[in-house]
Amino acid sequence: MRIFRNLKQALLGLLRHKGNTVLMTLGVIIGIASMTVIVSIGEGTKGKVLDRITEMGFGPDSFSVLAGGGRLFFPKSQNVTSLTLEDADDIAALASVRLVVPHQRETMRLVYRDQNTSTRVYGVTPDWILSRGWNLWDGRFLNADDMRRKTRVIVLGATPAKKLFPREVDPIGKEIRLGQVFFEVVGLLEEKGLTESGYDPDDRTLIPLNTSMSRLFNKTYLHSIKVMALSPSLVSKTMLDVTQLLRRNHGLSPIAADDFRFITPEGIMEWVTQSAQALNRMLVLISTVSLLVGGIVIMNILLVSIRERIREIGVRRCFGARRSDIISQFLFESIFVSLLGGMLGVGLGLGISIGLQNFSPIPTRVTWEPFALALFFSTLVGLVFGIQPARKAAYLNPEETLR
Amino acid sequence: MNLIEMRDISKVYKNVGFETRVLKGVSLHIQKGEYVSIIGPSGAGKSTLMTIMGCLAQPTSGVYILDGEEVEELNDRELSNIRNEKIGFVFQAFHLLRGVTAFDNVMMPLLYCRKPPKDAKRIVEEVLDKVGLGHRMHHTPGQLSGGEQQRVTIARSLVNDPRIILADEPTGNLDSKNGAEIMKFLDQLNREGRTIIIITHDPTVANHARRVLTIRDGQIVSDHANIPQSQAGAVGASAS
Ligand SMILES: Nc1ncnc2c1ncn2[C@@H]1O[C@H](COP(=O)(O)OP(=O)(O)OP(=O)(O)O)[C@@H](O)[C@H]1O
Ligand SMILES: [Mg+2]
Repeated sequence: MRIFRNLKQALLGLLRHKGNTVLMTLGVIIGIASMTVIVSIGEGTKGKVLDRITEMGFGPDSFSVLAGGGRLFFPKSQNVTSLTLEDADDIAALASVRLVVPHQRETMRLVYRDQNTSTRVYGVTPDWILSRGWNLWDGRFLNADDMRRKTRVIVLGATPAKKLFPREVDPIGKEIRLGQVFFEVVGLLEEKGLTESGYDPDDRTLIPLNTSMSRLFNKTYLHSIKVMALSPSLVSKTMLDVTQLLRRNHGLSPIAADDFRFITPEGIMEWVTQSAQALNRMLVLISTVSLLVGGIVIMNILLVSIRERIREIGVRRCFGARRSDIISQFLFESIFVSLLGGMLGVGLGLGISIGLQNFSPIPTRVTWEPFALALFFSTLVGLVFGIQPARKAAYLNPEETLR
Repeated sequence: MNLIEMRDISKVYKNVGFETRVLKGVSLHIQKGEYVSIIGPSGAGKSTLMTIMGCLAQPTSGVYILDGEEVEELNDRELSNIRNEKIGFVFQAFHLLRGVTAFDNVMMPLLYCRKPPKDAKRIVEEVLDKVGLGHRMHHTPGQLSGGEQQRVTIARSLVNDPRIILADEPTGNLDSKNGAEIMKFLDQLNREGRTIIIITHDPTVANHARRVLTIRDGQIVSDHANIPQSQAGAVGASAS
């Protein structure tokens, strides 16, 4: 086929003019690599946020009060001591509230004989399992008696259970050590499995709140309070009541900012959408600019190269190349170079994304989208920016090119 | 039948501010199998006439009929096919593709055939053998002498088996020995029945043809038969 012969001539041409080929490829590599990195960061951020939603296990009738003021995932300070069990009791007394679960939380090392693992330890009330709708796999959950007597009992998620105990050992009744304190395993949570973004909801353990306060964490303030309203429509009113209540309890002056913040499913979703939109806008802008630059580089080098190769074009025309042959030859050159740059760019971009993931706090996630985008956009760039030089080459006057 | 027929051909180059009238009413007929040389002073319009003959440029006015087809009415595709199938070009400056082997240079016209031959490789090897370059097939122009390069262009002009060879000063860049060798090939191509049209400044070269056209100032001033003599003799270098 004629078109394949032109394609072959294009590839040979690129080989013969390696300097130009490398320069043209570079422009696209940079464009596509930056696009890839931005896509990965976008995906990574989205994944992280979705993980938070999963972690908190929200329904439409619930929200959380987190200690410390500020924006959703960006508290003003990390260690806030103002949220207390009295606050939780006062919230529970509100008419529109069905259930309240106060939380303490720390990451700790668990030891069983020669096995150890690090996991999140939550101090919660027995209502926790109701509020999450989580099932027990084995044993029992924390109960009112545990709370009253501050017993040293623990319920394990599937992940720490697997890490600490060999298959053949039944964890129920075993003693494990958290810091200097021994706990008896009384229950195992049902396994949920990894989320799509790689978050592990099973990586948690639960102990009675009273025990965590006085025997393990040795602090009286809470990390958060989960609140469930009587119905989804009461959520916003309840949040207003809770705000008033907490400001009064904490003795905040009317001009002082809240020393707590809310997390609601809507709030998270809104944040996700907003940040995704902002990221998308940035993505579009940066990728467009860098691809435009790449395209212009290709176009200019191609134009220069056509001037250098004016004889070649004339000779080909002399021996029977049609205008369409010359156009396809040069268009193939630009598309191929652009595709090559695109593929190398995705490679570089993924490399950078993986680097960011491992060596920086920026969350990234490698997906297939950048490959498809690179394939599409680099072809487009090659086509759009190649057509003018190709036409220019084809419409050169063969008589003059050989003079 | 006339292979080439030109009637009152003129060519005017329009540039900003001025026009150059290069051909001023050229009429000529060339039969199949003729061996014609075109001579004349520099700037007379010889190369211009050849680009029109070779369908690389259209005349400003006049009629050009090539092998029964009126060229003015053809589009780019048809003109390209004619150049590909009926005409082989040989240039003073060789115009080989740089960095491309002799083999691929000779192969190039076959890429643009309407129906490329199945045994293209063999054909290319054959024509290269014919010009005595079978052993230099994989050399690039930079690795070949001037005479060898011009033999590659002869092979290239032949590969599509054209009826007409248009040669614009084929010996202009060569010494007398290499020039003579090129002329030997052109003579042979004419003996095979191909129509040869050769532009030259060199009377010795012109003397190979059986018809000599003289162009001066865009017009044919003489057109006479010629009896080639001592074709085996060397081409005079002094005349160029
Ligand atoms: N594109 C152009 N615009 C204006 N004038 C041109 C153009 N191309 C050629 N000419 C003029 O046409 C005239 C004839 O040029 P041509 O190349 O046909 O001469 P020639 O007979 O082949 O000369 P030589 O023997 O030196 O090769 C010259 O005077 C040249 O300056
Ligand atoms: Mg000339």
